[in-house]
Amino acid sequence: MPDITLTIDGVAVTVPQGTGLVEAAREAGIEIPVFCHHPKLVPVGMCRMCLVEIGTPKIDPATKQPVLDENGKPVIAMQPNLQVACTNPVSNGMVVKTNTAEVEFARKGVLEFLLTSHPLDCPVCIKGGECPLQNLTMGYGPSVSRFDYDDKVHFEKPIPLGPLIDLDRERCILCSRCVRFEDEIAGDSVLGFANRGRAWMIQSKSNPPFNSKFSGNTVDICPVGALMNGEFRYAGRVWEIKPVPTVCPHCPVGCNMTLDMRYRDIKRVQPRSNEWVNEIWLCDRGRWGFHFVTSDKRLTKPLVRRGGELVETTWQEALEDIAQRLHGVVQNFGGNAVGGLAGGRLANEDLYLFQKLFRELLQSPNIDSRNGTLDEPEHDDLAYAFGLASGTDLGQLGKGTTVLVVGADPEEEAPVHLLRLRGIKRRGGELIVANGRPTKLDASATRTVRYQYGHEAHFVLGLLSAVLEGGSENKEFVRSRTKNLDALRTALRPFGVAAVAEQIGVAADVFQAVAQSVAGAENLVIVYGREAFAAGTPLLQALGNLALITGHVGRPGNGVLPIMRYNNSRGALDMGVRPGKGPGYTNVVKEGLTAQQMVQAAGNGKLQALYIAGLDPVAANPASRAALEKVGLLIVQDLFLTPTAQIADYVLPASSFAERDGTYTNAERRVQRFRAARNNLGDSRPDWQIFAGLGRALAAMVRQPALDTVAASAGKPTGKRPAPAQPVATARTWLYRSTDDINAEIVQQVAIYKGASYAQLKSSHGTWGRQAADDPVFYDGTSYTNTEGFGVQWPTLAEQTNVVFDLVFSQPTTPQPRNGELLLVAAPRLYDGGTLMQNAEGLSFWVAQPYVGVAKADAERLGIASGDRLRLSSAQGNVELYAKVDGLVGPGTLLVPDLAEIPLGQVQTGVLTPVRVEKVEG
Amino acid sequence: MFDLIKGLRTTAKYLFTKPVTISYPEVKRPVRERFRGKHELKRYADGKERCIGCSLCAAACPADAIYVEPAENNPQNPVGYGERYAAKYEINMIRCIYCGYCEDACPTNAIVLEHQYELSFYDRKAAVFTKEILLQPVDKGWGEPPPILQNLNRPPNPPAQMEL
Repeated sequence: MPDITLTIDGVAVTVPQGTGLVEAAREAGIEIPVFCHHPKLVPVGMCRMCLVEIGTPKIDPATKQPVLDENGKPVIAMQPNLQVACTNPVSNGMVVKTNTAEVEFARKGVLEFLLTSHPLDCPVCIKGGECPLQNLTMGYGPSVSRFDYDDKVHFEKPIPLGPLIDLDRERCILCSRCVRFEDEIAGDSVLGFANRGRAWMIQSKSNPPFNSKFSGNTVDICPVGALMNGEFRYAGRVWEIKPVPTVCPHCPVGCNMTLDMRYRDIKRVQPRSNEWVNEIWLCDRGRWGFHFVTSDKRLTKPLVRRGGELVETTWQEALEDIAQRLHGVVQNFGGNAVGGLAGGRLANEDLYLFQKLFRELLQSPNIDSRNGTLDEPEHDDLAYAFGLASGTDLGQLGKGTTVLVVGADPEEEAPVHLLRLRGIKRRGGELIVANGRPTKLDASATRTVRYQYGHEAHFVLGLLSAVLEGGSENKEFVRSRTKNLDALRTALRPFGVAAVAEQIGVAADVFQAVAQSVAGAENLVIVYGREAFAAGTPLLQALGNLALITGHVGRPGNGVLPIMRYNNSRGALDMGVRPGKGPGYTNVVKEGLTAQQMVQAAGNGKLQALYIAGLDPVAANPASRAALEKVGLLIVQDLFLTPTAQIADYVLPASSFAERDGTYTNAERRVQRFRAARNNLGDSRPDWQIFAGLGRALAAMVRQPALDTVAASAGKPTGKRPAPAQPVATARTWLYRSTDDINAEIVQQVAIYKGASYAQLKSSHGTWGRQAADDPVFYDGTSYTNTEGFGVQWPTLAEQTNVVFDLVFSQPTTPQPRNGELLLVAAPRLYDGGTLMQNAEGLSFWVAQPYVGVAKADAERLGIASGDRLRLSSAQGNVELYAKVDGLVGPGTLLVPDLAEIPLGQVQTGVLTPVRVEKVEG
Repeated sequence: MFDLIKGLRTTAKYLFTKPVTISYPEVKRPVRERFRGKHELKRYADGKERCIGCSLCAAACPADAIYVEPAENNPQNPVGYGERYAAKYEINMIRCIYCGYCEDACPTNAIVLEHQYELSFYDRKAAVFTKEILLQPVDKGWGEPPPILQNLNRPPNPPAQMEL
C-alpha cells in the first residue's frame, strides 16, 4: 500500500495508507490518549478521549489541485470542530494538532464526564496501579471534581458476569472493548449492552453466563477495573507482583505468559505479548489452569515399594537402587528388555536426556512418547518436512491465503489458534473447514465441508484428484521439487472426484471449488487435529501431497500445522523420543518397540524394566494395568500419584513447569524458553535433574569397553595397539549443572535445533505492544512486554531448496462397522477435567458431564431418548454413558467428549471404534 | 591537689541540683505529640476496622516492613466498610524506620504511629507484629466512616423517571 505523509504537531511522519491517526501519532512519538480504542479492534470512537484538531489541504474545486499560499505551501483547511483520532485514517498532507488549548480543554472535559459516574474507589480496586483511567486522569484530567459524590451513579458492587469474571458496573466507562473483543476476535457474541441512560450496563447474553473460552482477555483490555479476574480480586496489589516469563503447559499453541508471583504464590497468569504466537491473548484454561502446581496431591518425596507399600525414601537411595537394577536388567536380558515412555508434557531438555539415557547408557531402542493405548495415532513426521515454513506469522496472513482445516477443532484443542485463524479470515483470507461434525470454527468459515467419519483421507484424495484433473497443480514446483507424479496419478485413479464425491457424500463441485481455492491461493495453511490423526498415515500422506503439488511448502506463510495432543508433543518428536528416529528426525540403527508393543511385551513378560515419565498408561487404558504389573521394575516419574504410579516400584516426584527452566516447542515448531517461578515443592526435582542423576549413577556402573578390549586381547599379543575405544559415557559426561548445559549439547547434536540456543531464543525485536511502562497510549490492557524473547522456529526440510520429495501414496482404510455397530468418535475437550485442571475451581464449572451424543436418526431407529443409559461395547471392553440425542454427528456415529472422567481407553480399539450399543437400566 | 578539690566542687554542686535523668522504667518521660512510635490500626466509633487492605502503606514503606493480605468482607458480618479488608496485616518492627509514610499514604487514617516506644524482642520472629497486636481495642474507635465508604454497599439507584 502507498505510504502517506502527514504532519502531527509539526512532526512529519510517513505511514502506510489506512493507518489510524492514533497509530500514526505513535510512530511520531506523540501520545494521543484513548480508552475505547484498541489496536487489535476496529475503532468505534465511543469515548471521545482522542479528540484532536485535523486539517486537510484545501483543494480548488475547479482544478482539483491543492490551493497554494504565497509561499508556495498548500493552504490547510482546519475542520471547524475537534475530531476523534481513532476513527480517522491518515491522508496525504493532513495536519493534526494534539496539544492545542482547545484539545486539552476537551480532554479535561471528557475525563470529568467519565469520572462523574466512576466511584473512584481506587484504593480497593484491583486495577489500581495498572489502570488507564487512573493514568490518563493523572495526565490529562482535572485535579478536582465538581460533581457531588452522592449524585454519582451507584450499582450493587461486583456481580458475577460469568463463573470466572466479576463485573463492577459503577466503574465501567462503557467503552465496549470487551463486547467488541468477544464479537470481533473471539467470535462469541456473549456480551452486550443493556438498558439506557444511567442504567446502561454490560450484560452477559449467553446461558451459561459469559460462555466464552477467552473471557479472561476482556479483563486485560478493560481500561478500568470494571471487569475483574474473580480469583485475583483479593490477591494483592499489582505493584506487589513480580511477573516471571513462562510458556503455557496446556496445549500445543505454546502461548507466552507470565506467572505473577507474590512472594512464593502464583497470584495470576497474564499473557506476554508475542505476535508470532499468541499476540496478546490467552485462553481461559491457560489463565486459570495453573492451580495444579499448588495441589496438595503433588508428590514431594521419592517413593519405593517395600513389602507391597510405597514408602518414602531419599533421592540418593532411590537413584542408586534404580541404576543398579536397570544395570542388572541390561546385563542379564540386554537393552531390549528395557523400555521408556516419556510424554509430551516434558521439556525438550528432559526429553533429550531421556533418549540419551536409553540409547547410550541402557543400549535400549525402546522409547516412545505415547501411552500405548489403541487410539493413538502414528507419529507425525509431516511437519518436519512441510511444516509452516519458518518466518510464518499467522497474525499477518490475510488476503490471498487459504486455510484448510481438516479434522480439527481448534477451539477445544488449541484455542488461541482459533483466534489466529479467525484473524486470517477477517483480513480477507479463505477459511475452509472440513470435519465430520460441526465445530465452533464453522461459524467463521468461508466454506464448510462435512464428510463421514472415517473418510478424511478420501476427502483429501478427492481434493488431490480435483487439483490434478483441473490441471491446476503448480507445474514448475512439481517438476523441480517432486518425483513420481505419474505413479500418484495412477494410484489416484480410483479416487476421482466423481467417485469420492459419491462415496463420502460431498458434492463434486465442492471438491472443485476447494481445489481451486487451494491451488490458486498465494499461501496455503493446512491445519489438522486429533480427529484427522484418526485416518493415520494415508491422510497425512495425502495432505503432504496436496501441499506439494500445489507448491505450498517451504515458503513463509505455507505449510501444515498439526495440532497434537500435548504442549510439547512436537518437542518429543524433535528430541527423538520415539522408536526408529533419533533427535532431529535422524534414522537410528535399531528400530525399537512402540508404546503399544511395550505394553504388550510387558504383558508377555518380555519387558523387564519400564520407565514412564509424564505419561499415565493405566489411566488412559485401565486394561494395561495387568500388563504393567508384570514388569519387574516399573519406575514412574510424575507430579502426582497417578494410577500408573500406584502400581510402580519407584515413584519419582518431578517439578512442574512453574518450578524449573526449560524450553517447549509449539505446534508451529517454535522453541520457546520458560523460567522457574517458585522453588521446588518438597524434595521434587526437575525431570532433567532426575535423568542426569540417574545417568551419572549408571555411567559409573557401565564398564569401560576399552578396558574389556584390552583384557580380551591381552592373551594374544598381536604387536598392534588396540583400536581406539569409542568415546564412552562417564559420570563426567552426565554432569549437567543447569538446562543451559543441556541446551548447549542439543544445539550441537541436533541439526534442526542449531539456531535454538538460549541466547537466540531470547531475541525480541519490533514487537507491537506496550513499549515502555509510561506509554499509556497503547496500553494493551495488562499484558506484559516480552522480555524473554520470541523463541526460534526451526526450519523445515522443504526450506532446503535442493531437496526433492517423493509423492507417496498409501491406500486409505475405513473402519468397517459390522451389522448394527456404530462408530465411536472421541471429541477433544479443552476442559477435560484431567490432572492439569486440578484445583482450578473456576474452570470446573465448564467441565462437561459425561455423555454420549447420538444422531437423531440412530436414536429413532434404536429407540434411544436423551437420558437413557447406554452400554457401548467393543472387542476391547465396554463403557456406560448417558445418551444425549443431538444433531451434532451424522447417522452411524456416536460422539463422546474426551473427558478424563470417561475411561474411553476401555472400549477404544482405534481412533474410530465400531461399538455395539445397548440400553441398560439405571 | 588543687585540681582534685576543683573537681569535687563540681560534684558537690550537682549533689544539690535537680537530676536531669529520670529513673526509667519506673518513671516514663512523656513524648511529644507528634512522636512516632508503635503503629496502631484504628477503628471507627462503631467498632468497624478502618483498614481496607489497600496495601498503599506497604507501597509507601521505604523499608518494606509492611505485609498486607486482603480478603473480601462477608456482607452479613463485615469487618470494615466496603468490600475489602486486611485479613493479614504485619509490620516487621526491626525493619521499620518510623518515618510515618504509611500514615500519610493511608486513605482511611487506619494506621497511626502512636506513642508507645517500648519495643524490644527476644527473637526476630517476635518483632513481626501481627494484626492482633496492632489493632486497637473495639471501644477505642473514633469518627464516622467517610461517605465514599459508607455508600459502597448502597443499593442501585432507581432509573431516572422521565416524562416522554
